[in-house]
Amino acid sequence: MAGIRLHVIAPLVLMAVGKCARDASVYVRKCAANALPKLYDLRLEEHNSAIEEIVGILLNDHSPGVLGAAAAAFASICPNNFSLIGQNYQRLCEILLDVEEWGQIILIGILLRFVIAKHGLVRESIMFSLCCTESSNSEKDGSTTEISIKEDPGFLCGGNNFGLDVDVSGDNDLLASMVSRCYIERPDEYLSRSSYTNRGPELNVAQFTSGKSNNDVKILLQCTSPLLWSNNSAVVLAAGGVHWIMAPREDLKRIVKPLLFVLRSSSASKYVVLCNIQVFAKAMPSLFAPHFEDFFICSSDSYQIKALKLEILSSIATDSSISFIFKEFQDYVRDPDRRFAADTVAAIGLCAQRLPKTANTCLQGLLALTRLEFLSSDIGSVEGEAGVLIQAIMSIRSIIKQDPPSHEKVIIQLIRSLDSIKVPAARAMIIWIAGEYCSLGDTIPRMLTTVLSYLAWHFTTEALETKLQILNSMVKVLLCAEGEDLWSFKRVLNYVLELAECDLNYDVRDRARFLKKILSSNLNPQGLEEEANVSPQHKELSHVLAEHIFGGQTKPVSPEPMNCRFYLPGSLSQIVLHAAPGYEPLPKPCSLLHDDIDLSNACQGTNALESAKNSDFYDTDDHGSLSGSLDEESTSDYSRQDSITKSSVSSGGDGTGSANDDDDSVDLLIQISDVGNACENQNGFSHSGSADLRELISKRGLESWLNDQPGLSSASTSEPSEVSISTARISMGDIGRRVKTKSYTLLDPANGNGLKVDYTFSSEVSTISHHLVCVEVFIKNCSSEAMSDIFLQDDESSKGSYSADQTIVATDR
Amino acid sequence: MLEKQLTGHRVDRSICAWFWEQAISQGDSFKLQPVIASPTHYLFQVVREGITYLACTQVEMPPLMAIEFLCRVADVLSDYLGGLNEDVIKDNFIIVYELLDEMIDNGFPLTTEPNILREMIAQPNIVSKVLSVVTGNSSNVSETRPGATASCVPWRTTDPKYANNEVYVDLVEEMDATINRDGVLVKCEIYGEVQVNSHLSGLPDLTLSFANTSILDDVRFHPCVRFRPWESNQILSFVPPDGQFKLMSYRVKKLKSTPIYVKPQLTSGGGTCRVDVLVGIRNDPGKTIDSITVQFQLPHCILSADMTSNHGTVNILANKTCLWSIGRIPKDKAPSMSGTLVLETGLERLHVFPTFQVAFRVMGVALSGLQIDKLDLKNLPNRPYKGFRALTRAGEFEVRS
Repeated sequence: MAGIRLHVIAPLVLMAVGKCARDASVYVRKCAANALPKLYDLRLEEHNSAIEEIVGILLNDHSPGVLGAAAAAFASICPNNFSLIGQNYQRLCEILLDVEEWGQIILIGILLRFVIAKHGLVRESIMFSLCCTESSNSEKDGSTTEISIKEDPGFLCGGNNFGLDVDVSGDNDLLASMVSRCYIERPDEYLSRSSYTNRGPELNVAQFTSGKSNNDVKILLQCTSPLLWSNNSAVVLAAGGVHWIMAPREDLKRIVKPLLFVLRSSSASKYVVLCNIQVFAKAMPSLFAPHFEDFFICSSDSYQIKALKLEILSSIATDSSISFIFKEFQDYVRDPDRRFAADTVAAIGLCAQRLPKTANTCLQGLLALTRLEFLSSDIGSVEGEAGVLIQAIMSIRSIIKQDPPSHEKVIIQLIRSLDSIKVPAARAMIIWIAGEYCSLGDTIPRMLTTVLSYLAWHFTTEALETKLQILNSMVKVLLCAEGEDLWSFKRVLNYVLELAECDLNYDVRDRARFLKKILSSNLNPQGLEEEANVSPQHKELSHVLAEHIFGGQTKPVSPEPMNCRFYLPGSLSQIVLHAAPGYEPLPKPCSLLHDDIDLSNACQGTNALESAKNSDFYDTDDHGSLSGSLDEESTSDYSRQDSITKSSVSSGGDGTGSANDDDDSVDLLIQISDVGNACENQNGFSHSGSADLRELISKRGLESWLNDQPGLSSASTSEPSEVSISTARISMGDIGRRVKTKSYTLLDPANGNGLKVDYTFSSEVSTISHHLVCVEVFIKNCSSEAMSDIFLQDDESSKGSYSADQTIVATDR
Repeated sequence: MLEKQLTGHRVDRSICAWFWEQAISQGDSFKLQPVIASPTHYLFQVVREGITYLACTQVEMPPLMAIEFLCRVADVLSDYLGGLNEDVIKDNFIIVYELLDEMIDNGFPLTTEPNILREMIAQPNIVSKVLSVVTGNSSNVSETRPGATASCVPWRTTDPKYANNEVYVDLVEEMDATINRDGVLVKCEIYGEVQVNSHLSGLPDLTLSFANTSILDDVRFHPCVRFRPWESNQILSFVPPDGQFKLMSYRVKKLKSTPIYVKPQLTSGGGTCRVDVLVGIRNDPGKTIDSITVQFQLPHCILSADMTSNHGTVNILANKTCLWSIGRIPKDKAPSMSGTLVLETGLERLHVFPTFQVAFRVMGVALSGLQIDKLDLKNLPNRPYKGFRALTRAGEFEVRS
């Protein structure tokens, strides 16, 4: 009857349900419990209290059958009314085993939330380290300005560091292995797992309860542990999640085997469980390390499962197990599924980075592989082969990057193999390696002359990306070179530049012209005397600029892209990697004491804020948070995409479009970052149409700014002039983007309403300094409503945002 | 397409259209994706025997719950209708709907125990079909409300009566093994199930104990199993549901050997590849090994294959799978298969190597070595008949080449 969605009869139904809830028959009471969510769904505000009351009655029931349904009703009606649970907590725990399986899943979640709300997190558990961070961060979170959100990553890292340090001093060895991982990943987890609206500094260590002394926690853990044997994998995972969050670290072992056993059930649940294990394994590799065999791959697994298993394997590999894992990897590389083989190669690279001891073995294997693949890549037969080869070289490069001096021989071998490798992306990468490490050791510099002339010789036959890379690398070599070589390099470069200027592709032509201009002082073989007419400042500047662009760009790269966020184990959001609607993080620890005010409000606020924060946090370049969910999805895939289509990004010729990509991949690939900059600069040229001194200077500013990003973190117009103008330069590409995003999210493109932004470079010299370029930005509100809080911001505004808010007066047309 | 609206908020049918579009455009890889985020909904899918079960939500929920439930629906349906395909579903539309009605309510699983469902909705049989045709009454929902939901054993039919009480316990084991290219056994473990088929009157209480529980690596139980006795004495104590059910599943890890060996050898050169596969018995389990098959997927780069064997038959199926069914291994000779694969033009040698999947069956033996000690029954009027069986078959038994 409750299924009849008529508002008129709702009071009648409510009465009937209330009667049934006190009925003698279990079945009737169960049905009453089932009817409650339907009633609640009618959204008649006046009945809500009555419904909640009935839920309370039903939760008081002593029959397990009723409790399951009552728990479901509770979860959908009033998930934050913890007082209802509080009355029955112990009994609910005890009866949990007898509740039907579907009810168990829900009930476990409710009990977990309740315990956390009442007692806070457990001191011995893995969540503790995380929460120290929260306390140290809490002040920063309170502020809601966009800037502070953007700075969060930085602060978080600092905060984490602090939190973990504290933790390590007082905790066991297990953590030691965890620290490094936590350092990378916890910021996200922390963002997602805890609610943090206006959290004052009230959160402190006192909010943690000891699992050993607290009865409620103990009961919950005791009652959920038999559920790990359940036949229903959802129950197993839910129980596992409780242990993961609440159990002392020593006891976490017990969830491992059941979780792994679940893998034997249907392939659909296998995928879900693996997703969760992946998170566990990353946070605490030691947990799964002894069970690496379970993640060996069967040929019947689907590709997603294979990829997940590889990722887990590479994160749990230890020195003792790595040899077995490598043996397996060797087999995988020969798998007919070439996409999977390429992933395996990438996993080898990851393993080598995690365990530096094995780097040499890995490199040998990978080199052998590149040689092996020649045979097939010669013919250029299958697309997959190229993928494997590219991936192999990428892995090699990332290993080399960790410790260049000790891998000199590998670099030499790679350069030697240049002749036989035909895949353009792979060639481009080797050339990059050659350029980047051109001054390393003794042998490489001596080889360079030959290599460069070889490249020059083949220049016309190369593919686009390789051409661009050849140009870049040559400049790098040139800048490092000295003495006798310099002259020959110059000649080679001149030759190549001339070739490039006549190239069919405009990107190559652009690049060539740009380089020529920038290096005009270096390139001129006639010597310096003839440049007397050019101001000495110019010469110096351009030289410095060139050095900045091409020299010493090896910024410390963050070891892993932070592409995973974490949600509660077993939740849908964890699988799809964005907060699904209705996703609620764990309640604030110990919030129960002073809640009951209006938690629901707070929670809604939290969710909204959270999604906003997440999206901002994720896409350092600022996509609108409205389009957030989709964007996030794509970002989570970025690392893979980038690694595969990396080459295409590196060739990204059109500055505006590639600006975004470049910034995303800055962390991943250095060479992209400098290519990207070059592109930006070119873009600058084409915009202003003249390559005069000012441009060069601003570029220098840009470079210097890029180079010491971490240094300048504050955000205001009162920055040193050079910096502020450089940011302005960068934003050229972005304003266009921002307009687009705006019109997407806020405005209706069909009607032409919205924010219109035009920008031009004015020719006048800035009044502040002649180093500055004036940019005029016209912002017009085409819609009928007023707009406020419009920011002018560049892509990397996490570090410095250019201009202050500009409030716009509403003008109709 | 079968649709059941569960909540008051209608889910638009267009989501199914979207799903099919995606499924068609993306092909097989899409079918293997259990959780899909569509623009408007989250979809969960389970594919069983060519039938796709979809669940759909807009809000956060445990994804495993949806997947488990879909699996359960699939199990119940195929149990009721005796195998599932499109025609069967079309013929039994009403029953399918009734079942779905009982199994889920307002998006929350309601009654999923097959025993109870059977009590509420009669299974289709010829008599009921005739009856419904004659009387024109098509409903087969029983009028009485299920008694068991009230009892403390919600999985058991209230009061079944059998003339001769029987209980059968089967150990069904699957051996998962991976043998790598060097012929080394990388992984060998057994996944086993204790399946019980009980036809017992009244409310019996059974106790099952094993001789060697120490070999069990991990276990999972049917909800009827009481946890306490297992924790303390490793004894299974339970009140069984009626009929066939899976009492427990277990895993035995790190086994040392497999009953049969498969030795593939691939040598390639000059545009062709020579394949030789040898199969033989390594450790005789004491019973005959039968239904042995070896199959492997031919790599993409192979144009044609010509395989022969000295025992059994070799088939090359349409999807480039080569299936060699051996059956039993003869006493006098070791079965072998050999042949040549012709590679794509331009390819000198084979650089990818297929994985051979092996299937076999051994009746009467549980290869893990698990032994049932005894089965005690209480609460029964007369002495029941007890039967034990064991069976081992290959699960994911793979040999890489």
